[in-house]
Amino acid sequence: MAALPRYLCHLDSCATFSRVDQERRGQWLRGVLDVCVMALLGRRESYGYELAQALDEAGFGQIQGGTLYPVLLRLQRTGLIAAEWREGGSGPARKYYRLTEDGKQAVARLSADWSVFAGHVDAVIRR
Amino acid sequence: MDNDRWLWTLGQEMARHQLAPDAVRHVVAEAAAHLRDSGQPALRAFGTPEGYAAAVAESLAARYGRPARPAPGRVRLSARGITKRYRRRTILRSVDLTVRAGEVAAVVGANGAGKSTFLRICAGLLAPDSGEVTLDGRLGYCPQDAGTYDFLLPDEQFVLIGAGRGLDRERSKQIGRAGAASLQWRPAAGVQTRHLSGGTRQKLNLVMASMGEPDVLLLDEPYQGFDRGTYLDFWQHVWRWRDEGRAVVVVTHLLSQLDQVDQVLDLTPASEGAAA
Repeated sequence: MAALPRYLCHLDSCATFSRVDQERRGQWLRGVLDVCVMALLGRRESYGYELAQALDEAGFGQIQGGTLYPVLLRLQRTGLIAAEWREGGSGPARKYYRLTEDGKQAVARLSADWSVFAGHVDAVIRR
Repeated sequence: MDNDRWLWTLGQEMARHQLAPDAVRHVVAEAAAHLRDSGQPALRAFGTPEGYAAAVAESLAARYGRPARPAPGRVRLSARGITKRYRRRTILRSVDLTVRAGEVAAVVGANGAGKSTFLRICAGLLAPDSGEVTLDGRLGYCPQDAGTYDFLLPDEQFVLIGAGRGLDRERSKQIGRAGAASLQWRPAAGVQTRHLSGGTRQKLNLVMASMGEPDVLLLDEPYQGFDRGTYLDFWQHVWRWRDEGRAVVVVTHLLSQLDQVDQVLDLTPASEGAAA
C-alpha cells in the first residue's frame, strides 16, 4: 500500500490534465479503490462520507458518492467488510463499515500484490 | 431536481431493478446521509438516479446473475406455415413460431410487415389463408389500440374481463387496480375510458390482458405512449411473467430488449431484409 499515495501525489502535482489523463486516472482508481477503502477500514471503522474525505486527503481528489458507495456495497456483499447503522449524537444515522477477518486477509494479500505490480511498472518506466 | 426529489426517484428506480425493499431503504438512507454531510447536490455526488440505481443493482448482483430460470416447459403456442394475403399482396408467407411456457418471443419487422396481423391470427381473431395455430392454455391478448370500451369506467372494464375469467366483482377490481398501480397508474373515480390519455388506455389494455393469469400473453406494442419509467416497468412485468412460466409474445420495433428475449421472429420480407 505504501507505494500507492506516492504515484497519485505525483500525478496530482501535474499542473493540468488532459481529458485522456483524467480518464486514465479514473481507470487506475477503479482498479485500486476497493483495496484503498479496505485499507482505510483496517485502521478504523468509518462511514461513506468520512472515507471520501480520507481519500481526498490522501491525494485522490474528490471521490463522488456514485463511485464510492457501489464499491462499499460490493465489498459488503462479498463479506470483506461488514456494516452497521448507528445513530449519530446529534446528526443523522450513519452506516458504519468495518473490515471483517476475510477482509483483513484480503488486504494483506492485495497490498503485497500491489507492491509487486507497482514495482514492475516502476522498473519498466524508469529503465 | 432537488435532493428530496432525487432520493425519491432513486427509490423508485431501485424498485424497478427488483431490489428488496430493505436494501432500497438502506441505500436511500445512506445517500441521504452523504448528501447532508457533504452539502452537495445529489446530481453532482451521485449522477442521475437512474444511473446510480443501475450501479447499485449491479453491485448487489440483483440483475446480473439473476436466479436461474426454470427450463422452458411445454409448448404453449405453435404457429405453423401461417400465410396471409390481402387481395393480391402476401403479408405473411409461411411463418412459423413455437413458444414454450417460460419463454419470451419478440416479433419485429418494419411497419406493414404483418406483425399485428400475425398476432391477431395467433389470438384467433383472424383466419390465415393457410397454416395452423395451436394454443394450449388460457390466452391474454393486448391489442395495439382499441380493446377498451369508451363509455365504461376502468373498474367496470376490470369487472367485465374478470367475469370472463371466472372472477367475482370485488376480486376483479382488486386485481385490476393492483395491475394499474404496478404501472404507476391510479384510476381516478368516475373517469370514463374515453377521457384517458392514449398511454393510460394502453395501461388499461395491458392490465386487462394479464388478468386471470393467462398461460399465453400476446402483446401488440402495448407500451405506446408510456413514459420511460412505465416502459421499464412493463419489461419487468414481461420478465416476471416469463419466470412464472407463461409464454409471452411481444410485438416490438425497439431493439434494446432483444438481447434478453428467448427468440426473435423477424417478419421483414426477405427481399427488404437483404436490401436493408
